[in-house]
Amino acid sequence: MTLTESPATPRLAARDLSLGYDDRVVVDSLDLDVLDGRVTAIVGANACGKSTLLRGLARLLRPSAGEVLLDGTPILDRGSREVARILGLLPQTPVAPDGITVADLVSRGRHPHQGWFRQWSTRDETAVADALAATDTVELVDRPLHALSGGQRQRVWIAMALAQETDLLLLDEPTTYLDISHQVDLLRLLRALNRATGRTIVTVLHDLNLACRYSDHLIVMSAGRILAEGPPADVVTADVVEAAFGLPCVVVPDPVAGTPMVVPAGD
Amino acid sequence: MSTPTAAAPAAPTRPGEENRTDARGALRRTRQRRRIRALAVPVVLLSVAALLALLTLCFGSVRLSLDQVLGSLLGIRDNGAVDFIVRDLAGPQVRAALCVGLALGAAGTIFQQLLRNPLASPDFVGISAGASAAAVAGIAVPAFAGASLPALAFVGGLVTAAVMYLLAWRDGITGYRFVLIGIGTAAFSTGIVGYLLTRTSLTEARAALHWLTGSIGQAGDAENDVLLVALIVFVPFIPVLQRMLRTVEMGDDTARGLGVRMEPTRLALIAVGVLLTSLATAVAGPIAFVALVAGPVADRLLGSARGGIVAAGAVGALLCLVADYVAQYLLPVEVPTGVVTGAVGAPYLLWLIATTNRRGMGG
Repeated sequence: MTLTESPATPRLAARDLSLGYDDRVVVDSLDLDVLDGRVTAIVGANACGKSTLLRGLARLLRPSAGEVLLDGTPILDRGSREVARILGLLPQTPVAPDGITVADLVSRGRHPHQGWFRQWSTRDETAVADALAATDTVELVDRPLHALSGGQRQRVWIAMALAQETDLLLLDEPTTYLDISHQVDLLRLLRALNRATGRTIVTVLHDLNLACRYSDHLIVMSAGRILAEGPPADVVTADVVEAAFGLPCVVVPDPVAGTPMVVPAGD
Repeated sequence: MSTPTAAAPAAPTRPGEENRTDARGALRRTRQRRRIRALAVPVVLLSVAALLALLTLCFGSVRLSLDQVLGSLLGIRDNGAVDFIVRDLAGPQVRAALCVGLALGAAGTIFQQLLRNPLASPDFVGISAGASAAAVAGIAVPAFAGASLPALAFVGGLVTAAVMYLLAWRDGITGYRFVLIGIGTAAFSTGIVGYLLTRTSLTEARAALHWLTGSIGQAGDAENDVLLVALIVFVPFIPVLQRMLRTVEMGDDTARGLGVRMEPTRLALIAVGVLLTSLATAVAGPIAFVALVAGPVADRLLGSARGGIVAAGAVGALLCLVADYVAQYLLPVEVPTGVVTGAVGAPYLLWLIATTNRRGMGG
């Protein structure tokens, strides 16, 4: 988990990237440098292209134009397994096979590190044990996933992504379906993981206030483009929020952390 | 995140050492249990199947002692009458039941895991139906009169699967579309079968219906040999297929995130499933429900080691063996094997449909 690259050459970047489904353009000639070793949150109104951008960065979508660069090379030109050892992904609604146990699920994060016949090593064991410990899911190892609560389940998925031991981790709305306290727990966990290991984290988030609170860098998207990006305190102004979400609002400092907090204006 | 043990200042960037050891121990224990189960369940199932196979030979149309059966199978004793029954009459049928069951059980669980749907066994997504249409064409269409039914059925299954794959292709295959197109293809093939049957004579129609119900032992030695060889060739690839399934069943996005190249993987798994199903259908006709039931039953037994291909195959073999014995000897009149599997499988299917979507697994 060392950051050998200089800040000038980001490990993950998008150049003139356009993404879409069929003829519909969702992300439009976008340039982006993901900040190494930081937590970046992508926010924006529904259908602004934030999840599509994340899927593009994670090579789940083939660009209609432009490219995604991983360590300076187009990501699609690199071996699929090789990329999976550098970049991990937690999809928006991951599906688990019926009856799978937590230990089994988290162990599958080791897939890109295993060969066809060499299936389980001490290295794998260490990575999975660490991932379980870091997400506080050790006591759950024997339980089937479907028997867990939403918050536990999401921690297990994150454990699987951690077991993959990638320097970069992309998450698509990891807080969906969680109540406020579990949302906060999860974002704290992500930030702690970033601080502890220097992993680069990019996450799509719905809640603007939580995004401000728990990310180092904010990307505000609107209509397939980046409207503003930078540290939350610099980016989030009443004008930007109104432009991105169409919501007239007042931005005040969060009483606890001092990060920007968006309060709707009017009645 | 603040864990109680993370207070140790020496390693602030890692989970606490004690916590790590706990995690390692818990992981090792649960993996050990899983490994034992993954090994024990198929071994026990295969042993039971072998034992049952011997028993069916003992309690067939002629009573034989276990000693006589083993003696003949191992070539220790020479007794013309016993050898004839064991090696020529009952033996090939038992062998066919085992092979057909293994193939159907394995193909069923591969399809169900690949398509992430307990209903998506090869007999429901049109492959058996395609094989049936081709076989009935062999009976009903004069132009095909010379062709062997098993060969026609085999080719019919493969062609149907290829057509389904091409129809489902749209920048890749999604499991859901493949299942829907499979159901459509099955309906189409059933329509063809119905049409062909209206054009046959009574004797031909009876032969066709017998074939369509599925009956172990209706093929000759050559077909059975092909199936056996295919199963043996398939054995060394089981670890590879198992590993593919472990990622593919996580869904496309997660699997690709883990570095899986979805299209070649999916194509390989579909090809294996289609080959096994088509061969089994060529030998025994479309034996209903074995492919559908074997995987879920094996998963129950496997528990946390669910998904095992060998265990599912062994359950399939047991089902076919028992169904064939019941069909031949226990019912007042001898019926095709498919009647027995159908009678057992249909209630299971109803139960499955009634409970599946409640768990949100239908897609």
